[in-house]
Amino acid sequence: MKPQEISRRDFIKAVGITTALAATGTLPPVLYASERRLVTYPEKGELLLLTSSPPQLETPLKYFRELVTPNEALFVRWHLSNIPTSVDLDSWRLAIHGNVGKPLSLSLDDLKKFDKVGFTAVIQCAGNGRSFFEPPIFGGQWLNGAMGNVTWGGVRLRDILKSAGIKSGSTEVVFKGLDKPAMPTVPGFLKSLPLDKALEDDIIIAYEMNGRELPMLNGFPVRLVVPGWYATYWVKSLSDIEVAVKPTENFWMKTAYRIPDDPCGCVEPGTAAKKTIPITRMTTRSLLINPEDGTRIKSGQPTELMGVAFSGGYGIREVLISVDGGRNWSPARLGRDLGRYSWIQWFYPWQPAKPGSYQVMARATNSIGESQPLDGLWNPSGYLLNKIEKYNLIVTQEGRS
Amino acid sequence: MKAKILLCICASLVCTTLALAGDPGSAREGSSRSITLPAPVDDLADGPGKDTTGIYCGICHSLDYITTQPKFPRARWRAAVAKMIKTYGAPISETNAEIIVDYITTYYGAGG
Repeated sequence: MKPQEISRRDFIKAVGITTALAATGTLPPVLYASERRLVTYPEKGELLLLTSSPPQLETPLKYFRELVTPNEALFVRWHLSNIPTSVDLDSWRLAIHGNVGKPLSLSLDDLKKFDKVGFTAVIQCAGNGRSFFEPPIFGGQWLNGAMGNVTWGGVRLRDILKSAGIKSGSTEVVFKGLDKPAMPTVPGFLKSLPLDKALEDDIIIAYEMNGRELPMLNGFPVRLVVPGWYATYWVKSLSDIEVAVKPTENFWMKTAYRIPDDPCGCVEPGTAAKKTIPITRMTTRSLLINPEDGTRIKSGQPTELMGVAFSGGYGIREVLISVDGGRNWSPARLGRDLGRYSWIQWFYPWQPAKPGSYQVMARATNSIGESQPLDGLWNPSGYLLNKIEKYNLIVTQEGRS
Repeated sequence: MKAKILLCICASLVCTTLALAGDPGSAREGSSRSITLPAPVDDLADGPGKDTTGIYCGICHSLDYITTQPKFPRARWRAAVAKMIKTYGAPISETNAEIIVDYITTYYGAGG
């Protein structure tokens, strides 16, 4: 790299997103990836604008200092531009049809008559962190804010399917929401789950986020929750469930949201995959949340590093921290355990004696031994990001800043 | 009577104020709930091809879908425009596709 050519990545890396925003001053009308601005959409707090229609909004990292992400702060991601902006519960129905004995058309009240279940689970976009891939990848240039940890409440998908009566020969279940394409030629959004997966205990149709109704932009009145799997399956504003005999050939299953068919889900950077499979379970990740990347702290002062760690449904066994660029690692203390689908907070007391730049890294391992690679693995769509993140904290002399 | 009317006006003012303070983009009426979305971002840099790009790309998405991408070379943008036509059925002629690729590559791509 020539000295005068500082890329946006280097810029963000060097100064952090907040400083990058401040440094640009009044933002120009044309916004580049490194110049995110905060916007307030209906029923949401101040989120970072990625795109406005279909809306993609990401959560500023500061919200992840809380164990559970507030409804107002959860990221927003839609695929099609005609998103539902109005729902009348008097007329809204959830249809269950296809290869079933008795097709159902359920109102929200009907749905609430089934047993209520709930748990806290991480929801994360498959492309979370895509902007950190090298070489860069086309698509939503998410930082790390396309995720959150929410307590979901709803009914088991299995109970609903059993009530409709699954007929023999069924192989998968197809889910559609109220969002519609701008043109009839655009494939309508849908996702499908293999029947075995759909019948698991913890797949729910959620009508509550943190004990409240879902924000419209997060899928009011109900959305599918597939804990441990990426959010692409968590169909928002769910309105149609079809039990199918044959696998769906739709674009969103057959072409989009696929990863290389390899244990690492990766290929040589910049190359195509020979064979692909649908993306499913989340990789293991850990992130430093506080203090944020690039923060200055004073030497000799006791401080505490805090972050979150999660994996695709197997809980977190251990988080190791390095404050010297990966030479030495020590375990962090883990916070309250809200179950295997939730993220766990980690804490690491630190009192740097000498001024200087410190590279902080966190590495999580889940209960089945899955961990994080030191160097990033690459795939053509920019999914599964879980390399060990590197943060720089600047320690200044005591009494000076 | 006067006092009652005054009370009603006050009450409705309070309600309006609360609604605005709560969330101006969200409304409820009976069993119905609705939101009003902000206007999409539709600014592009001035230059030849700006209007063609705005009109066709804007059919399906706001133009920040273009401006937030990394600076990709021409071939990558050509592939992206081709995907819009082939996969999503964007009604873009070959001539207009070239205008769009030229424009994006010049102003938001790696040039050349």
